[in-house]
Amino acid sequence: MQSAERIKSLGHVVITGGCGFLGHHLVQHIQQYHPKTQISVLDLRTLHNNFSSESTKYFDADITDLNSLRDLFEELKPDVVIHTASPHLDAPRAVLQKVNIEGTENLLKCAAEVGTKAFVYTSSASVVMEGGDLKNVDERWPVITGKDQPEFYAHTKGIAEQTVLRANRSKEHPQFLTCAIRPAGIFGEGDVQVIPGILGALKRGQYKAQLGSNDNLFDFTYVGNIAYAHLLAAGALLSTHAILPSIPLDMERVDGEAYFITNDTPVYFWDFARAVWKAAGASDAMLDPKKVWVLHADFAMFIGNAMEWVYWGLRKGAPSLTWQKAKFSTINRYHNVGKAKKRLGYDPIVDLEEGIKRGVQSVLEREGWKMGPGGVVEVKKKQ
Amino acid sequence: MKSSEILYYAVHPQELRAIVQWMVWHNPVHERNPEKESETLKQCFYYLDFTSRSFAAVIKELNPELLVPICVFYLVLRGLDTIEDDMSIQLSEKEPLLRNFDQSIEKEGWNYDGNGSREKDRELLVHFECVVAEFRNLKPVYREIIKDIAKKMGDGMADYCNNAEHNIHGVNSIKDYQLYCHYVAGLVGEGLTRLFVESKLANPALLERPELHESMGQFLQQINIIRDIKEDLDDKRRFWPKEVWSKYVDKFEDLCKPENKEIAMHCSSEMCAIALENVTDCLFYLAGIKDQSVFNFAAIPQAMAVATVELCFRNPDMFQRNVKITKGQACQLMMESTQNLQVLCDTFKRYVRKIHKKNDPRDPSFLKISIACGKIEQFIESIFPTQKPKEITGKPVLDEKAKAEKDEAYWDGIYMAAAAGGALLFVTFFMFFIAWMAGARFDLAFSSMKDTLFPSGKGSGQLTNPEHKEL
Repeated sequence: MQSAERIKSLGHVVITGGCGFLGHHLVQHIQQYHPKTQISVLDLRTLHNNFSSESTKYFDADITDLNSLRDLFEELKPDVVIHTASPHLDAPRAVLQKVNIEGTENLLKCAAEVGTKAFVYTSSASVVMEGGDLKNVDERWPVITGKDQPEFYAHTKGIAEQTVLRANRSKEHPQFLTCAIRPAGIFGEGDVQVIPGILGALKRGQYKAQLGSNDNLFDFTYVGNIAYAHLLAAGALLSTHAILPSIPLDMERVDGEAYFITNDTPVYFWDFARAVWKAAGASDAMLDPKKVWVLHADFAMFIGNAMEWVYWGLRKGAPSLTWQKAKFSTINRYHNVGKAKKRLGYDPIVDLEEGIKRGVQSVLEREGWKMGPGGVVEVKKKQ
Repeated sequence: MKSSEILYYAVHPQELRAIVQWMVWHNPVHERNPEKESETLKQCFYYLDFTSRSFAAVIKELNPELLVPICVFYLVLRGLDTIEDDMSIQLSEKEPLLRNFDQSIEKEGWNYDGNGSREKDRELLVHFECVVAEFRNLKPVYREIIKDIAKKMGDGMADYCNNAEHNIHGVNSIKDYQLYCHYVAGLVGEGLTRLFVESKLANPALLERPELHESMGQFLQQINIIRDIKEDLDDKRRFWPKEVWSKYVDKFEDLCKPENKEIAMHCSSEMCAIALENVTDCLFYLAGIKDQSVFNFAAIPQAMAVATVELCFRNPDMFQRNVKITKGQACQLMMESTQNLQVLCDTFKRYVRKIHKKNDPRDPSFLKISIACGKIEQFIESIFPTQKPKEITGKPVLDEKAKAEKDEAYWDGIYMAAAAGGALLFVTFFMFFIAWMAGARFDLAFSSMKDTLFPSGKGSGQLTNPEHKEL
């Protein structure tokens, strides 16, 4: 493993959203690889995914409440802040706005004021999205916000990322270093979106339909690799901090920069779905490529759009096929992680196959699903 | 041409077209000049044709600077191969022959007649003095490279011959398999790269990244090993590593049993997945070549190899008989790999997509193949991007000037169509007029046309319903 793995302690690390999907992986990763680190987890509710120990403490905190946040930071005085807290993609706009934009501003203020050295922000690969194909994009692509950005979530993430990067070596706090990690297609244990979505389709018997030609490549990234990248970034910022006020060469510089993080193995969209179904135990008959029904991409989007209107008309909520979903499964979205490899020393530590295995197993257990002999996912009674 | 071939090309006209196009339009970058060649060199080219089917043509089109060195290099390696392959030579005789081959090629008049009579390339070694003579005429730097590779390869081959384990059980681990490929192909890649760089026809950086030329050799050799499984097995040779096949069958021979058809395909898929990992390095390597003839020489076998993966991947026939790409496909591939890297990359992408389309989720290597294909596509996108960061910022806004231009273009179109239509109409009338002046009877022509198109009721009844009359 990389040199950063050998650092026993990252000092005192605050993790916001530390009970969330990525956050709790970060906590476990630090406990395992940087055991001398002191961890303070901040989250709205800290009952789930709680791994408290002698060195890991949990605090109920709301990052949108500046005053109480300031008090907490006065008390904690962390060396490193890793800011993963964010509402769900589909959360109401007001909530996204408040947490992602204002919450991040609050955190930056509080951290800089108490002398935090390193601030790592969990951004999103979708900040460069404009709705169409993204092929092998790298950090030269501009952040898209405002009306050109089709997703409000990505808009708020983009604004917040820009605020974070502007705070790096600012006039008021020249010793405050920041950077941003942009994960793409995060999945793994504790996943509520990618793997459950794909397994849900299997459960509903929708495994026979394929939208589009399946020539589109997509990045899916195992959550553990993303956690690892965050800690490489934190370690690199601390090393840069140790040589302040000098600024590293442009080619080596970590602070003030954003990094795409993926598994570095883009795969064809439906291949990933099939690999997930296979890992869940789908039978050979269910995976038979001859039985796949291919819907043309434009037609699928048309149907998705029509379904949305019908469901809206019937007041039935969201249909299982929407325009957005159809579009998503037929476009290219993959990234080049050369910058993270060069500057952070990043390389995925868990490959796609292993990641899928872990993710599927954990989701099946959590949902109480299992593969029946008839090839259908059965629902067990939840406890 | 066999009748089966005629039938094949009758239903694959685009492949026939490729053959014709290659024969009609292919211009060699360089051509050798037999008149100025020495007797021994002519002999060397004779043996080149004699021993190599696929390489002879591309070697003979090489840049004059490398033409003879590479021809000699090929024949030296072929000589080594002929000794190694011949099971009728005793080990005690074979081992020193292999290990000292680098010295033999320097001895004037050296040749060897100890090969069994069944050895197909026996004649080459019997008359090897012609190769030695040409070797001795080469520039010292080229001699040094060829000698060095001959030594390394001879030692490697001797080690394998000595290794009883290898002879009985074949290759064990994937690492052993790659090491074997290194000795028989990776070293060739090294030698060729040194020759290319020494002659200034390739970027010297290629020597700083030896993994690139290693991949060139590995990919070609691994694909040959995958494709030739049936032939090799019939000759009692096993190159597929046990680490791979033992996951699928207990005995290597079982791969060819009809009842193991599906399992055997899974096994070959894993072999293909391992081989495909080399492809991005191969494309990277080819980007470092500066000379067209050298590019063709290096690219053609690579293109053939990727097409062969596509042919073998999930194809149960390869376990029953020798499979080969068709001549039409080969001509198409040669045309596409003798232009530039971008055209070659399009070819690779086309075959990668074909492999991806054949990929089956039930295959244990399903995800590995998908990842390998995705990596190749990503690499091609990285060297020939279809998207640029600037294009994605903002949509084009039509300003006043652009709008005026667009309007103008629209009216220009209308005027052009009107003018063309008017001219056509005028010419038509004019021709009718001339015809009429010359005495054409349009009235008669019109009424006869009317009769054929809209026959009158009377006539039609008789013509269309002859049966009614009889009733």
